[in-house]
Amino acid sequence: MSAADRARDALSRLVDASATERILISTAALVLSVLIGAVLVLVAGRMTTCTAGEAVYYFGTGFCYDPVVVFDRLFLGALGDPFSGSWSPNGQFAVTLRESTLLLFTGLSVALAFRAGIFNIGTQGQMVVGALATALGVLWASSLVSGTLGTVVLIPFGLLVGAVFGGLYGAVPGLLKAYADANEVITTIMLNFIATGVALYLVSGIFKDPNSAANQTVPLPEFAQFPALLFGGRQDFSIVALLFGLLAVGALYYVLEHTAFGYDVRTSGVQPEAAEYGGVDAKRTVVASLTLSGALGGIAGAMYVMMVLGTFQTGIPAYGFDGITVSILAGNNPLGVGIAALLFGVLKSGTTVVQFATDVPPQLVGVLRGLIILFVAMPEFFRLLARGLPGAGSKPKAVATDGGTDGDRGGEADE
Amino acid sequence: MATAVHLDGITKRFPGVVANDDVDLEVERGTVHALLGENGAGKTTLMNVLYGLYEPTSGEVRLDGEPREFGSPRDAIDAGIGMIHQHFMLVDPMTVTENITLGNEPRKWGGLAVDRAGSREAVVDLADRYGFDIDPDARIEDVSVGEQQRVEILKALYRGADTLILDEPTAVLTPQEVDELFDVLTELTSQGKTIIFITHKLGEAMRAADEISVLRDGRKVGTVDADATSQEELAELMVGREVLLDVDHGTAETGEVVASASDVVVEDERGVRAVDGVSFEVRAGEVFGIAGVDGNGQSELVESVTGLRTPDAGEIRFRGEDVTTASRRQRIEAGMAYIPEDRQDRGLVMEFDLVENGLLGSQHGRELASNGRIDWPKTRGHAEAIIDEYDVRPPDADAEAESLSGGNQQKFIVGREFERDPELVVASHPTRGVDVGSIEFIHERLLELRRQGVAILLVSSKLEEVQGLSDRLAVAYEGEFVDVVDPDETTEEELGLLMAGERPGDDGGGGGGPAASEGGDAGETESDAPTELTDAADGERA
Amino acid sequence: MSDAPADRTDSGTAAGKAEGAGFLDRYTTRALVAGVTVAAVVALLIAGLLFPDSIAGTLSDALTSRNTLAAALRLSVPIAFAALGGIFAEKSGVINIGLEGLLIISAFSAIYVADLTGGVWVGFAGGVVASTLLAALFAVVTIGFRADQIIAGLAVWLIALGLAPFASQVIYGSPNTPTVATSPSITVPVLADIPFFGALFSASPSVYMLFAAVFGSWYVFERTAFGRWIRASGENPKALDTAGVSVTRVRYAAVLISGVLAGMGGAALSLDLGQFTGNGPTMVNGKGFIAIVAYLFGNYNPVGAFLSTMLFAGLDAVQTVLQLQGIGIPRQLIRITPFVVVILVLALVGRTRLPEAAGEHYETEE
Repeated sequence: MSAADRARDALSRLVDASATERILISTAALVLSVLIGAVLVLVAGRMTTCTAGEAVYYFGTGFCYDPVVVFDRLFLGALGDPFSGSWSPNGQFAVTLRESTLLLFTGLSVALAFRAGIFNIGTQGQMVVGALATALGVLWASSLVSGTLGTVVLIPFGLLVGAVFGGLYGAVPGLLKAYADANEVITTIMLNFIATGVALYLVSGIFKDPNSAANQTVPLPEFAQFPALLFGGRQDFSIVALLFGLLAVGALYYVLEHTAFGYDVRTSGVQPEAAEYGGVDAKRTVVASLTLSGALGGIAGAMYVMMVLGTFQTGIPAYGFDGITVSILAGNNPLGVGIAALLFGVLKSGTTVVQFATDVPPQLVGVLRGLIILFVAMPEFFRLLARGLPGAGSKPKAVATDGGTDGDRGGEADE
Repeated sequence: MATAVHLDGITKRFPGVVANDDVDLEVERGTVHALLGENGAGKTTLMNVLYGLYEPTSGEVRLDGEPREFGSPRDAIDAGIGMIHQHFMLVDPMTVTENITLGNEPRKWGGLAVDRAGSREAVVDLADRYGFDIDPDARIEDVSVGEQQRVEILKALYRGADTLILDEPTAVLTPQEVDELFDVLTELTSQGKTIIFITHKLGEAMRAADEISVLRDGRKVGTVDADATSQEELAELMVGREVLLDVDHGTAETGEVVASASDVVVEDERGVRAVDGVSFEVRAGEVFGIAGVDGNGQSELVESVTGLRTPDAGEIRFRGEDVTTASRRQRIEAGMAYIPEDRQDRGLVMEFDLVENGLLGSQHGRELASNGRIDWPKTRGHAEAIIDEYDVRPPDADAEAESLSGGNQQKFIVGREFERDPELVVASHPTRGVDVGSIEFIHERLLELRRQGVAILLVSSKLEEVQGLSDRLAVAYEGEFVDVVDPDETTEEELGLLMAGERPGDDGGGGGGPAASEGGDAGETESDAPTELTDAADGERA
Repeated sequence: MSDAPADRTDSGTAAGKAEGAGFLDRYTTRALVAGVTVAAVVALLIAGLLFPDSIAGTLSDALTSRNTLAAALRLSVPIAFAALGGIFAEKSGVINIGLEGLLIISAFSAIYVADLTGGVWVGFAGGVVASTLLAALFAVVTIGFRADQIIAGLAVWLIALGLAPFASQVIYGSPNTPTVATSPSITVPVLADIPFFGALFSASPSVYMLFAAVFGSWYVFERTAFGRWIRASGENPKALDTAGVSVTRVRYAAVLISGVLAGMGGAALSLDLGQFTGNGPTMVNGKGFIAIVAYLFGNYNPVGAFLSTMLFAGLDAVQTVLQLQGIGIPRQLIRITPFVVVILVLALVGRTRLPEAAGEHYETEE
């Protein structure tokens, strides 16, 4: 297969009609959520009090919060104000990329499971387990090596530890689903609570850093953390980690589209009976995809420890849940996850900018997240909106937890 | 006699399809009227119009001379029409009484509670009036298919139906249950009910109906009096040409045993023995057929041969090895091809295009992939070759499987499986729901493989198909093989009796407890000497 | 077939295991779990009686304390209400995984309205209305616009998780609201003096409402036509449709009822404490998800769901009591016992039989 063939092949898959519609729906969902968010900001602005001077006026009415400012800060602020002339690689943009990097991994984690027809809500727990294992593993290993060599050795080692433990933790719901027929939505939710609880117990007990008031492990030495290149380390971002993330995007895309294992996973996701017929071992595929999914979540945890905190602390932010949003917005496509992760990185990083720049509560972004998922889940709604528009006839596909199998096919069979 | 139902010039169009084209139908009160036609002829669509599920594009429905418009089944029910669907509309975990009264429950306490005693009484009364044998307190999931059907009929009667539409009511019944059903129909018409009965089986139409209307390609091609017609006439009306269902396949030159089953037992989800000690062997270059009414263990047997199920006892051997617990993948790789009975659930991934579907089952093989990496250009070429060779239309490898018609989907599956270069082909209902042209094509291909020395295990409920294609024919009844016969030496009447569970040599004692059959004994049968070969046009008569 | 032998043994044992699990009928497994639990409790009580100074003694004291029962009942209220709501929705064929969100939104709204009007019961109504509105949104999205139920439910949770603290921050300047008055508990004379079980007769009004709701739900499913329609709608919607009952209407009604019930749970949760706390996972903290497990374990039976809620809540209550007595089991680990129990139970019981059509959109033909 020549490179040109390969490119054409990849392109033809990208330009697939359903992919186009996915992108349209995701974009529309985003825009609509932002609009509703704006209304929410306005309404909230009526419910709070402020001086006349602080108020903004729309439609002849005064509001305490200005949605234009909110979204300006949310988006442009997150990019480090690229048009202001004061852009710096150490600014907010680095924070955005840091968040995006973590979301890449959790998004891929959820997307992989989704493609296999499994709803992994447990990425969060897998991330916690991976993070704790990495913090402890690398701490132990950092006594063996040091310096640049230490960095070169310890970072892959830390990622591996995170992947292995996250993977093992992901395998648990996989095994439960495959061999005990236990619903993975419930088991993964429970395992999230368990991971958080056990981590809290360990970190507040035997693994607690004696020199800290917080529940955290002993911090890792500098050389055992991701190095800051190009971007200053002030924002805890390393371009190396982002490159790992992009590599993971490409790798997962390749695995899903070009390998027999990926074919097994995708077939199981859309039509398990057909997969079984085609010689796919359903149980093994379930366990393997959840293990791999957990490994990606575990890597996110490792990144969080080795790039952001430098230690394990309880109360890891909800990257795992955001990963669900990222994946759903991306239509569970690895390449789409790349874009959606950047977008959500902007939202997450913009949240803090909004918090500093305005009085609008940052939880707004949480609402936006929910709205986006809600809208992406209902393509039918947009189809209704688009009815009558030219080209609205293309065949739509709902995002679905079962990978999108549709109950009624065959249609008009008279049998 | 009065006309109870009059459909006047009904046309129903769906995007791209005309399902009914100017159909006129008049049904007399107190009669059974059969609506006969091949799958896809538009019978069900026409009845869905009468039942208010579809609104006709043009034309009119008249009941007792009155023009009626039905916006929903509710309207049709109110007008005294009841429909018994092919797939029963019953709620499995609920009782017979609960199902019959569903939506019209007798109430008490000002509607705050269901009058349960009253419901039961109403159901018992109704069943008594029409002489139905049912248990009002049994759960649907615990009663037989025949009883479920009676519940469906009672449900319609409970709602005051005067006209009953039965959609392929015999498809799921044993011959005995069919007899019972026909008795019920007689009883109903004698009490003034009108029956419309959808079927594609000539014999049943002639047996049960007073009048028969034949549909073909959405048009009505004629209405005949059941007493004044012949099966040949009906068959010709149905397909529009003389049907030649007898395939001349010559004698088999059989080789060694390719696959065998011995004393296989399979329990279904409820723990009932769906397959109860079946043994057989299939040799290279022969077609081993399994005939029988659906639901006599054929599906479970096939699934244990192909690896979708592990039998609870017994042994499956393939190419000299014990594969009883081997995975599906191992069996594919060892050269087993499989045309599954449900192409839309198993045979094809409906959302995938044909390129990807052509890979199904071969993704771990060496032809189209290497070291776990899929060779897409090669896979595309493979799919295109199948499309070309097996005349799949439209000839577009990028078309999604779900966009193809049933016949073309089936041809693609057949092509994919035959191109595996198999040692054994397991073909389960290979022509179900497929148009006549494709049926012949698939039959020819199957026989061609046989000539090449491939072993073929063929399961079909179409008697003319298994009889015409098989070299040896087993008849399945209640999970056992009643007998293995030479299809050329056996009459349809004999096969019909076997399918009803009557053992050769039995004095018509009924299908009570057939002993374990001795499979694999090529051609040697215990049946009576062949009497005469009848016209093969109707294989459906049981 | 060169690799057949190695693989064969593997898949063989796997299949064997699966069959073994199948033999254990789900009812017997449930009975087994219940039996083991009862036996363990009895053994513990006897041990406690014999050795009052041992850990067993302290434990059995905790178990028989009427405070434990009172605490278990209090903790049960939001979970059991949400579970009842979940039963209505899921039996009708709509899996409502957004119960957590409904609890959150009603918990906040109840406090807000109570604070605004000064009336506890007005606040309660406010919480119920808010939850019902959110459930209505969920219904429109899933039933009207055919959204995937799991994803839409998740969205409901996330929206509420953001919206409640957002509103609290806007209105009160903090994700936690100020406190409002609570309604006093109702005590039935005489009955309340019975040892242990007296706790049943001296409880907050929400506990009595829960008893009423459990009975009411049971009555609806077992005795009314509407209850049958809900079951039919979840098991075989086409059967209901062809019987002339609108599946869409039944499902809308069921989801709205789930909103009302979950709203009662959420409102009771915050009003019993007089405050809504919205930090992190909020004060609801997974109760909506435990509710799902509770009704699955209770096999969609309102009474069963209530009893399994009491089991989980009882664990939590015992843990609290033990904590007060300074027993040396780490708090964090006891906290997670209900979740571990759920997983063990799921591993043993395996698949609970979902309504046949749950999760599927139903479209009337034409």
